[in-house]
Amino acid sequence: MERIPEFLEAAELSELNENTRLLFFPIRHHSPVCSYQLKKTAERFSPDIILIEGPSDANELIPVLTAEDTVLPAAIYYFYKDKKKLVSEDAEDHRCYYPFVNSSPELNALKLAKELGIKARFIDLPYCEILINTAETKGLRKSGKQNYADDSRLTSGELYRALCEKTGIRTFEEFWEKHFEISGLTLSPQEFLNVMHTYCLMIRNSTSDDEIKLDGTAAREQFMAEQILSAMKEHSKVMVVTGGFHSAGLFRLVKTGNVKPFRLHKIADDCKGCYPAAYSYEAADALRGYASGMPYPYFYDMIFERISARHDPSGAYDEVTLDLLVRTAKESSKQDLPVAISDVTAAQTMMSGLAALRNIRESGIYELTDGVTSSFIKGEKTIASSLPLDILARLARGDSIGHIGDKTHTPPLISDFEHMCEVLRLKHLSSMRQNAECALFTSAKGLPLSRFFHMMSYLGTGFCTLVKGADLRTGRDRNRVREEWVYQRTPQVDAVLIDHIADGFTVEEACRTLAMRSLRNERRCERAAGTAVDCFMMNIPIEGGMERLADITSSDGDFFSVGMGMQQFETLYRLRKLYKYEDESSFKLIELCWSKLIAALPTMADVPNEQADKCITIMKRMGELSDTILPDRKEGLISALKLLIKEENKQPAVYGAALGLLSRFDISYEKTAELAMKGYLAGSLNIKKQGADFLKGLFSSARDIVFAENDFLRMADELITGMDKEDFLEVLPQLRLAFGYFTPQEIRRTAAAVASIYGESGHEVLYGTKIDEAVFELGRKLDSEILQILEGGKG
Amino acid sequence: MEGYIKPPVEIRYADELKVLAENDKGRRPENWKLSPAAVRTFIIGGTVETPEGEVKISRKFYGNDALVERAVITLAGSRGLMLVGEPGTAKTMLSELLSAACCGCSTNTVQGTAGTTEDMIKYSWNYALLLSKGPCREALVPSPLLIGMEKGIFARFEEITRTPAEIQDSLISVMSDQILNIPELGDEGLVLARPGFNIIGTANTRDKGVNEMSGALKRRFNFETVKPVGDVRLEKKIIIQEAENMAAAGHIDMPVDADIAELLAVTYHELREGRTAEGTAVEKPNAVMSTAEAVSVYFQTLSHAWYYGGGRIEPAVLTQSLVGAVCKENKDDLGKLRAYFNTVSKEESKAGGLWKEYLNSSKLLN
Repeated sequence: MERIPEFLEAAELSELNENTRLLFFPIRHHSPVCSYQLKKTAERFSPDIILIEGPSDANELIPVLTAEDTVLPAAIYYFYKDKKKLVSEDAEDHRCYYPFVNSSPELNALKLAKELGIKARFIDLPYCEILINTAETKGLRKSGKQNYADDSRLTSGELYRALCEKTGIRTFEEFWEKHFEISGLTLSPQEFLNVMHTYCLMIRNSTSDDEIKLDGTAAREQFMAEQILSAMKEHSKVMVVTGGFHSAGLFRLVKTGNVKPFRLHKIADDCKGCYPAAYSYEAADALRGYASGMPYPYFYDMIFERISARHDPSGAYDEVTLDLLVRTAKESSKQDLPVAISDVTAAQTMMSGLAALRNIRESGIYELTDGVTSSFIKGEKTIASSLPLDILARLARGDSIGHIGDKTHTPPLISDFEHMCEVLRLKHLSSMRQNAECALFTSAKGLPLSRFFHMMSYLGTGFCTLVKGADLRTGRDRNRVREEWVYQRTPQVDAVLIDHIADGFTVEEACRTLAMRSLRNERRCERAAGTAVDCFMMNIPIEGGMERLADITSSDGDFFSVGMGMQQFETLYRLRKLYKYEDESSFKLIELCWSKLIAALPTMADVPNEQADKCITIMKRMGELSDTILPDRKEGLISALKLLIKEENKQPAVYGAALGLLSRFDISYEKTAELAMKGYLAGSLNIKKQGADFLKGLFSSARDIVFAENDFLRMADELITGMDKEDFLEVLPQLRLAFGYFTPQEIRRTAAAVASIYGESGHEVLYGTKIDEAVFELGRKLDSEILQILEGGKG
Repeated sequence: MEGYIKPPVEIRYADELKVLAENDKGRRPENWKLSPAAVRTFIIGGTVETPEGEVKISRKFYGNDALVERAVITLAGSRGLMLVGEPGTAKTMLSELLSAACCGCSTNTVQGTAGTTEDMIKYSWNYALLLSKGPCREALVPSPLLIGMEKGIFARFEEITRTPAEIQDSLISVMSDQILNIPELGDEGLVLARPGFNIIGTANTRDKGVNEMSGALKRRFNFETVKPVGDVRLEKKIIIQEAENMAAAGHIDMPVDADIAELLAVTYHELREGRTAEGTAVEKPNAVMSTAEAVSVYFQTLSHAWYYGGGRIEPAVLTQSLVGAVCKENKDDLGKLRAYFNTVSKEESKAGGLWKEYLNSSKLLN
């Protein structure tokens, strides 16, 4: 075969003898074969120091990662706040993870150094410098890119496509498993280095210099080469563990000595930092779009553990795939998809047969997938029948989450979060979605749990979502006494908590800071009251909150904002004892809002149509308050309403609502309302149409009026029958709303009264088939189950 | 091959099979003509090293190579192979290729229909001999299944779900015990399957509801779902290749027009997917929009050009052939086809040249 330049350079890079002083070990992130060969190579090479690709600002965290009480997956979380606009004019915040699983060669290099008692350190540019030296949309600045460990160079481009086509293999990952992961286990370190360097050199040589410069690689390699040369001055044997793509670049730089000292920027400590963080297998899965190393991380972790436990790689793949096959069968059977032993046997036969046909020493994850496809799926392969494949993918991906044992570097906010989870017995060590139910007033744990969930929601962590329960902000389902939540710990939760570290040491403190900040900047009463409701749900008293909320209310000139704010303060006032909330300021705030509203109410007579409903809601709240907690304000309300109805131009619905409220206080206003309605009916078609709007307003505040001695029903009938179909359809929504305020019993009475106008009894005007209650219940249950299945839950 | 409309695979590709067999160094399951690796090469193409040099083996099945590998391994084991999928996805062709490569015989076939009886699956009698000699081996008419068992070759069962379920189930005991009992023959009536025997079934997913297979029978098969070709370029290539073969067989000495093949491939692909290349949704016809149908439409157009058109393939003729193929089951399909022509005529990628001529012929869609 013709010796292409890559072979020559790879041979030079792979030289491993007694004279070797500098050894470049190329890796792929999370690759078990790289970890295995790394150990073997280190045993033979006996380095004095191991230099590892990784942002050097995390060197202090190395002991945390290698500590015995750290459970993987774990990650280093880096952040940088670009206040100095060194990255871009947008002064954005940046963050990324550097994840580690048990099979990560970088982590095994760190552990190895610990075992051998030699130094190990990260040699890449600090995170912020990488960003500064990377062009927009490239490298770590790609949109949505939050992962330092990126292998996309090895797995994309024309070279791998050509390789797959030539070898008849479906994907790069399958190619990699066959030719590197499984075959590589039987190679000597020298052979392995040669194979890896050759492949990576081919990729490197097919990448343009411009691309290398734009994505920050050139700057990073300059810095790394500088670190290598510096280490070589102090140590006689240096081992450099980097992504295979960098090995050749670094080798060339060190060989030519073309390394310029790198000048780092001065960046304030509060703008940059890194922390150890728990990570999940799910997030580490390359198939989930994070581009962080290998797919199926748990599967490859099991492979590496098996190799490490027996100090022998032979049989590892066959054993682990068989184990996974059996677990897939069991899991499928649990989900009503019975898998017989004969199916498992057939799948295993298929796996070994395929391995032989494909010339692979042992069956890997792709043979396992083929075995399950062929033997477990009965009938056509569809989304529904592919359940065993989904189960296999989930098992191979893994669902556990890591744990950082040494809390020295863990941000206090995350420690508090974990502590709270333990106190409240929440499963925060699993990345699976969990359900929790809070019986708010019947269980001692209910309120604290609900408050914690509300706090985590308030911080925007994405940790939990309220599925069912009262929404006090909108007033919806206020009578619910239970809450149902779903929660799931993901790396994103930790990331958001880290973003809030400056806000407090505990979750509660961070929420308080956030709430206070929100109030400080707030100008609208409605939103400020919303924050007060949030604090109420989280049980966080607002320090100096009364004064601040009063200031906001006083200075807010918007009738609707103050009205909606009052509604929320009323909620707080009414529920404060039930929820054991100690803040008593809500009553004063209600009074303050009332004063503002009452002054503005007469001017609301002619609000635009689109604001009429909101105005009516506020008027009705005021009516109710004057009946309950503010009885001494009733006269003021009546005066304001009287002024309103005297206005020349009146929005019909608001006019109707005002008359309805007044009729509750003084029955003579019923007559006024009747006359007003007659006026609408006597008017032109457009005026007549406004009658529907008027009825809507009237019935919304005083629906009893229908059953009193008056002509409203007859007039409503006249309104409906006096229009042609098109006009009727135009006013239908208003009429529907007008009668939407009635209870079923009242609708029945109304129907009977209308029927009597035509000399009929109530029963005669009924139409449609009566549905049995049990059938209705069954339909509702079916609906809910179908909805659950459609939303991805288990039916 | 001369003189036959469609010679069996083992005759059509006899040369390739011979080269593969002569140079096959892999292990072969008992009674197989080729090793699994050579079977794969025969079906998905590749090269064979011979003392005379490298010989190229053509690709015959396009699509999922891993499916072919799984199918080969299934056939080397104890379970039968069931190929399921939409009509026209080359299930039958794959089953023929597998039978020809593994056993050297692709014609040992039962065709499943609503009228298929148990006799056709197991055995029947030559009644003249039966009357004169009584029940004896000579009077027995073996079914393809029985032939497969006795010779150690595959039996192909086409369109299994068109056969009544109770008839399908007569396969269960044969597949479980590898034995077929012929009680009329007494002690000589026990037929044991020889190594190499297996069953390849095909089932059309559109017939799923006709005679659903029993769970017991399903357990004795490994299922493989053959999907339609998802890549337009590949579909075009298949259309050209198959049309060339059909033209050669029909003595039509005319080159295949790649641009016309592309029009057809794109039309079929977009109608099947219900979406055009530019992302506009179009209504899917009820008719089967398979690659096999597309090949048939193309060949019809080609024949028209050869006999009536002076050697030029007219897009308008293609449109007319399309009407015959698409509007078979449901008259609404014609409206859908017309709507498709109207929709894509507004797309930029189909604005010029042959596309324009093709889309202008939409008036023929009546």
